[in-house]
Order: sequence, then C-alpha cells, then structure tokens
Amino acid sequence: MNLKKIIVIYKKEMLDLVRDRRTIITSFILPIILYPLLMIGLSSMMSRQEMKLEQQQLVIYLNDTVYDETSRELIESLSQIETLQIMDEAIVYNESTYLDLLQDKSIQALISIEDSLSSTGYRIFNITCFYDETSEKSSMAYRKIRDNLHEIEKVLISKRLEKIKINSEILNAVEIKKENIAPPEQMVGFLVGKFLPYLLIILTISGASVIASDLIAGEKERGTLETILVSAARRDELVIGKYLTIITISIITVLLNLLSMYLSFRHIFMQLGTSMGDFQLPIGNFALILLLMLPLITLFSAILLSISTYSRNIKEAQSYQMPLLFGAIMLSMVSFLPGFELNLGFSLIPIVNFSLMMRDIMLNNYQLNYLFIIIGSTLVLDVITVYISIKLFHSENVLFRTAEEKSLKFWGKSKKDVFNLQFVMVYFVIMIIALYYIGGSWQLKDMMNGLIKTQLLLILLPVIMILRISKTDIKSALRLNYTNPLNFVLVLIAALPLLLLAGIMGQLINYVFPVSESYLEAMQNLITVQDKGLWFTVFVVGVLPGICEEVMFRGFILSALRKKGLWYGIILTAVLFGAFHLDPFRFIPAAFLGIWLGYLAVKTNSLFVPILAHFLQNSLAILITNYAENVSFMKLIIKDEMIAYWVVIPALIILYLVIKGFSIFNPVVIENIEE
Amino acid sequence: MIIVNNLTKVFQQQNGEDLYAVNDLSFTAEKGEIVVLLGVNGAGKTTAMRMLSTVLQPTTGTATLEGYDLEKDPQNVRANLGFLSGDTGLYARLTARETITYFARLYDVPESKIGDRINEMADLLDMHDFLDKKIDFLSTGMKQKVSIARSIIHDPPVMIFDEPTVGLDILTAKNIISFIHKCKEDGKCVLFSTHIMREAERIADKIVMIHQGKVLAQGSWDDFKTDTGLHDLDDIFIHYVNSINGADV
Repeated sequence: MNLKKIIVIYKKEMLDLVRDRRTIITSFILPIILYPLLMIGLSSMMSRQEMKLEQQQLVIYLNDTVYDETSRELIESLSQIETLQIMDEAIVYNESTYLDLLQDKSIQALISIEDSLSSTGYRIFNITCFYDETSEKSSMAYRKIRDNLHEIEKVLISKRLEKIKINSEILNAVEIKKENIAPPEQMVGFLVGKFLPYLLIILTISGASVIASDLIAGEKERGTLETILVSAARRDELVIGKYLTIITISIITVLLNLLSMYLSFRHIFMQLGTSMGDFQLPIGNFALILLLMLPLITLFSAILLSISTYSRNIKEAQSYQMPLLFGAIMLSMVSFLPGFELNLGFSLIPIVNFSLMMRDIMLNNYQLNYLFIIIGSTLVLDVITVYISIKLFHSENVLFRTAEEKSLKFWGKSKKDVFNLQFVMVYFVIMIIALYYIGGSWQLKDMMNGLIKTQLLLILLPVIMILRISKTDIKSALRLNYTNPLNFVLVLIAALPLLLLAGIMGQLINYVFPVSESYLEAMQNLITVQDKGLWFTVFVVGVLPGICEEVMFRGFILSALRKKGLWYGIILTAVLFGAFHLDPFRFIPAAFLGIWLGYLAVKTNSLFVPILAHFLQNSLAILITNYAENVSFMKLIIKDEMIAYWVVIPALIILYLVIKGFSIFNPVVIENIEE
Repeated sequence: MIIVNNLTKVFQQQNGEDLYAVNDLSFTAEKGEIVVLLGVNGAGKTTAMRMLSTVLQPTTGTATLEGYDLEKDPQNVRANLGFLSGDTGLYARLTARETITYFARLYDVPESKIGDRINEMADLLDMHDFLDKKIDFLSTGMKQKVSIARSIIHDPPVMIFDEPTVGLDILTAKNIISFIHKCKEDGKCVLFSTHIMREAERIADKIVMIHQGKVLAQGSWDDFKTDTGLHDLDDIFIHYVNSINGADV
C-alpha cells in the first residue's frame, strides 16, 4: 500500500464531498441549527403546553350513591376547583355509558362515591375515580381530584378527632422532607446522559451513511468505479482512502453536534440563571465522550463502507443501511432503561457499551477499565470490518453484481430445485416465526406434549412436504445413506467430551453475562426427568430432536448451503441452528454443536451419524443432570453443578483422535452428490 | 502489445449452471495496430476487456500486456494501459482539470509534469475553454473529451476502447475515431470493441469476431471476403455465426 496514493484518493473524495450540498446540509448545517432550534422550540412549547393544560376545563361526571351531608361536602369542595366542571348525574347513572364517554374523551373523569362501615364501626367513603392514564387531560383531572380529596380527608379526620377531644396534631408522627443532594451538574448529566447516546449515535450513522452510500455504490451508479479500478491505484488504497473520508466527515459531524449541543445547553442555563445556580457544564466529560466516539465512528464507517461496496446503487445501499440504523437505535436505547449497569458482558456488545458508558460519563461515575475494554473491543471489530470491506472490494461478484431476481414459486409438475440459499433463508425465517408463536404457545399449555408437536409438526413435517411437493428424491436429498458402522462408535466416544465442552462454553457465557436464577431453573426443568419417567423424557428431548432437527438442518438446509462451499455450508447451517434455539445464551454452545453435526454429515455422507450424535448429546445431558451425583467418575468432573475446567484438555485430545478416526474411515468427501 | 492465450471466463449463474462468457479466446495485438473485437451484445466483448484491464480475473488462460502478466503483475498491466468505455462516467462536482489531475496522480505521473501534460491534452482535444468548468456543466461531447484525456494522461503504450461510441452523436463519435487513429500513428497498440460492422471496417487492421464467448474468425476484412466469397459485412458475420451454430440465427 502506498500512503501517497491513499492521500491522493482521500483529498479528491474530500473535495468532491465538500462540494456536495447534501453532505453540507446533513453533516454541517443540521447539527449547528438543530440544537438551538430544539431547545428553543421544546422549552417554549413545554411551558405553553403546561399553561394550556392548567387552564383547560375538565368535565367530571359524578355518581353519588350516598347523597348525604358529608358526601355533598366532598362534592362541594371538588367544585371549588376552578377548572373542574362537575356534572351530578346520580339519578340516571349508568356506568358503562359514562365509561364510553370517558373513552371518547367527552369527559375527563368519572367519580363514584359509595360508603361502607369499618370493622370498628366507623364510616368510610369509598371513592372510585375512573380516568384514562394515556390522556394528559384525564390524568390531570385525576391528580386534581386526588389532591383535593386528600385535603378533605384531613379535614374530616380532624373533625372526628375533635368530637372525641383529641388534638389532630397526633397524626403528624412522621414528616417526610425531600432534599436532593445531587449537585446540579449531576442532575443535568442524569437527564442528558439518558438521551445523549441515542441522539449522537443516530446523528453519526445518518451523517456517515449519506456519504458512505455515495462513495462506492454511488460510483457504481455513475459508472466511475470502473475508471478507478483500471487505474494504477491498488484496491486496498482505494478502500482506505474512501474509509478515511467517511471517518473525517463523521468526526466533523460529531464535533459540530457536541459543540452545538454544549453551547445551546449553556445558553439555556444562562437564561434560567438563578434557578439552576451558577455552575459549569462538565466540558471535560464532553471531551471524554468525543474520545469514546472515535472508535465507534470508525466502526460505523467500516460497516457502512462494506454495505456501500456490496450495493449496486445508492438506493440499494440506503435500504441495506436501514436495518443497521434500526439496530443501532434499539441498542442505543438501553441508556433509557433502568437497571442496566455496565458490566464485562455489556462492555463487549457494540453500541450498548457506548450507550451505557456515555451515560456513566455524564453522571461522572465511570470506571476506567471498562473505557479501555470498550475502545479495545471496538477497534478489534473495526479491523475485522475494514478487512471485510477490502475483501469485498476485491470480489468481482460483488463489484459487478447483477440483478438477483428469483422466483420463490416451486409448485408445479416438474422437479424444482429448492436447494438454494434464497429459498432456504425464506423457509428458515418462516419456521423461526412459527416456532416462536405456534411452538411457544403449544409448549406453554403442556411442555412435553408441546415439544412433541413442535418437533413433528413444525420441524419435521414442513421439510418432508417441501421435498414431496418439489418432487425431490427424499432419500438422496437427505443423505439417508449406509455408512461404516465404525462411525457410530466414534460418535459414541466423542459424545461426552463434546457435551462437556459445550457445557463449559455455557459456563463461560454465564460468567460474562450472568443470567437470572429463574432462567437457569427453567432450563434445568427442561432436562430434568419429569413425572412422566426417564424413557419418556429421553424420547421427547433426545430421540425426537435427534431425528427431526437433523432432517431440517443437516438434511435439508445443509444440502442447500453446502453448494457454496463445504465449510461455508457447515458454519452457516450451524449459525442458523444456534439461532433456532431462540435464546441468546444458548446460541454459542448450540452453534458449536451444530458445526460438529455438520462436519459429521459431510464427512460420513450419511444423516444417520449426526442423528445419533444429536440424540446422544441431548440424552446425555438429561442423564448427567439427573444421575451424575450417583456416578463416582462424574463427581470428579462436576462439582457444585459446575464442570471443572481441566476437562477441556482431555476432551480436546479425545475429539482430535476421533476426528483422525473419521478421516481414516471416510477418506473421501463426496461433494454435491445430487449432481 | 497484447498477447492473449486461451482466456476463459466462467460465471456461476443463479440456477447453478456455468455461463462461459468468454471461451478460449486467443489473439495478439501489435504495436501500431488497431484490433477490433466484433460481436453482438452479450458476445463477451466487455468481459474480455475487463479481464485485460485486470478488473475481472480469468477463470483459465493467460494474457500479457507489454510483457506483464495479468494475474502476476496487475499493477504494471494497469499502469501501461489506458481504458475508455462508452458507459464510464465522470465526477460531476470536479472540474475537468481536477478530474484529469486526479487520474494523473493515480497513474503516478510526476507532479511537475502534470500541468504540461494537461496542456498537451487540451491542445490535442481542444479543451482549453472548459478546463476549469465543473463536469456537471459540460456537454456530452466535452465530457467525452475529458474521458479521453483522463484515460491517456499517463501516455500508456496500450489503449483499450470498450464500445466508446455507443450513444454518442455523429460528431462526437467522429472525434473518438480520429483520436483512435492518432493513437495508432503514435505507435500505440489499440484494442477496440464494437457491434457496429461499418465502424469495425473503417478502422480495423485486424478483426476478431466473437460470438457467445467463442472466436468465430480472425483476420482482416479482405481475409474474410476471400474466405467466405461474400461482400456484405453483415452477411459475412452471419455466415460465420451460422457455421458454428447451425442455421438458427
């Protein structure tokens, strides 16, 4: 790579972009005017809105079933409130009619007064206030009524006490005063910290995405890409030059955003003057946030660059950017959620880590070690994404991608090829939705029964139907082939080491993302022998998934995906298999087992081998959970429900020997048997 | 010069079948010679030229350009090559001068010589009036001149033109053709692709007819005429197509 060339490309892209009106508007002008406008607009609108609400007439319907002196007194006091208009409709009272009126907002509240006697003979007024929490006006009516009634209650009580000659001050046993000790900076930090990460992340991405889509997809669209590809510049030089351009513009955007935000905040507080005291905005924190933003910016830029490289034109690039933007928004919103504190696990999840860290920085309450973990882990992701970008830029399939329009129709008389990536992906998405809604509700009703139905009807049946309808030969498509019996012996040997390795992975994930006890209990229940007995549990949790899930994944999905390369197929199938468990904590162990099962399917060219392996994994898990404490050998490995970590070494050695064994018994990998 | 040996490019289609876009293409183009790749749309001309400009990688076969191998030394291949096609674009927000300067730098033209080179180009192509205007404000003809200038700014010994006259009016197209003649006079090796028979006849020293990725015939028009006994160019082309395909074209 030649630095001089990179600079040439960088300078040209910068010149080109700075002359682009869209860039100037989204990256430079918008941040400068957005915050002052937002601040002015919001503060004036809020005060006006509040005033308007305060002055609005609120219509209240009343149903007084008691109708005596005291109840009249209550109502009288309510009607003293200026904005309340009380309609006494006791005579033609019909609750449902008034609830309808409340719902269509013709009235703001409905009060019903009844009375009863306490066990000691005192009279109690039971007042029910119907209101609509989602309506501001209705909520305000409720608050006014509530506050007013509390006041009346005090009066009533003191009257009662007077009758029996007791001073009403006896009631003031405890008095609560609130004194907020948070300094104003921290209050501001608390409020700003909640929405700042969210705002900054959206602004960064939306600014960078306009530029990124233009830089490569835009060049494809305008036909200039070929001219630079045939020039003497290397492709990595082109990618890096463009990458630096996106980063530069994004940094400028973020800087302008922060500066504009800072100034408009300062302005607002200076206007508020005395009420907030004369304190300094935490400018050091803004600088720290900027430092934190840098790796995030480089990461976004790299992802956006990859998207742009992959897309055929700007429009396509923009539609691929949407999921990224949505995902980023969702993840950045964790700073709104209470109870989310930065820990080791969260500090490894991109965006979530920034969002939480920024909130902590604004609160002046952050831990330096997490700051380094976040920056470090993001930079690692960064390098990977830039590498992918360069790879994509070298791939002619990507650079000269033609329209991919493919019909999903496969009904008809002739044999149709359902073994293609697109069909399988659509099928998988439909299945995972079905699993979530239909399978989930079956299992909620009756766990065991639901599992059986899920396996047979949702996992096995659709595959068989697809293969029948598409007139595919099921036996050869699913590879129901004869295989060397010694393969089964090898699977048997590998079963325990694999289960332990997967278990250890689960333990490590648990360590990084501690999950709740109730979740672990639910998981445990699944593989605990229920009252139906051991053999039934083994059948439901071991045999059925062994057959049904293998037919779906290693039979159908892998057959389609392996066409693009054996390892590509095995790994993608394993990822889908992991995702199919609908549980982020089980994803990695499941995907790990998926790779092993895929390897078995490809290596032995027979689905029976992964079926046995899958059955063994699940069944062994049941046996170990329920009977490990009775076996002295297992006691050595599992202590306090934790697998000892030294197990990794012998397990890997056994696994290695088993893999060697497979290579001896199955020397040839047969590819694409159906062709 | 260009030496092409058994160049083949296979694309994997969506239905999993292989498409031979270029199938066993061999020819040579000498210094000071204009070689025309002649074929209908979809014959494989663009794919062949993209391979020669190292944008696409050949599936099998080799080619050298000024002695540099396509796959082993793509950097030097591109440095010795000027590439112009009918559908390449320009950066609308840059001026003509900025555009040409950018490419001069990408092609490692020494900074001290760039100004002189641009003046030479402007003299040759009559571009002085609009050198400092933004591309957005130029007419098609002017843009085409900028494209030519950017493709030849590094004075490459080999020029590849991929259907450069497609969609141009007669006057602009004529500019290009006369520019190609100028290249030949300067002793450059020129490879030119077109689907227009007359255009091929007018400028070619040698014609390589390709159809469905395969070479139908190569030689001069005179060779073809004596070979087939026909005189009309279209007839000659159809004759060769039929000779490999049966009579279904």
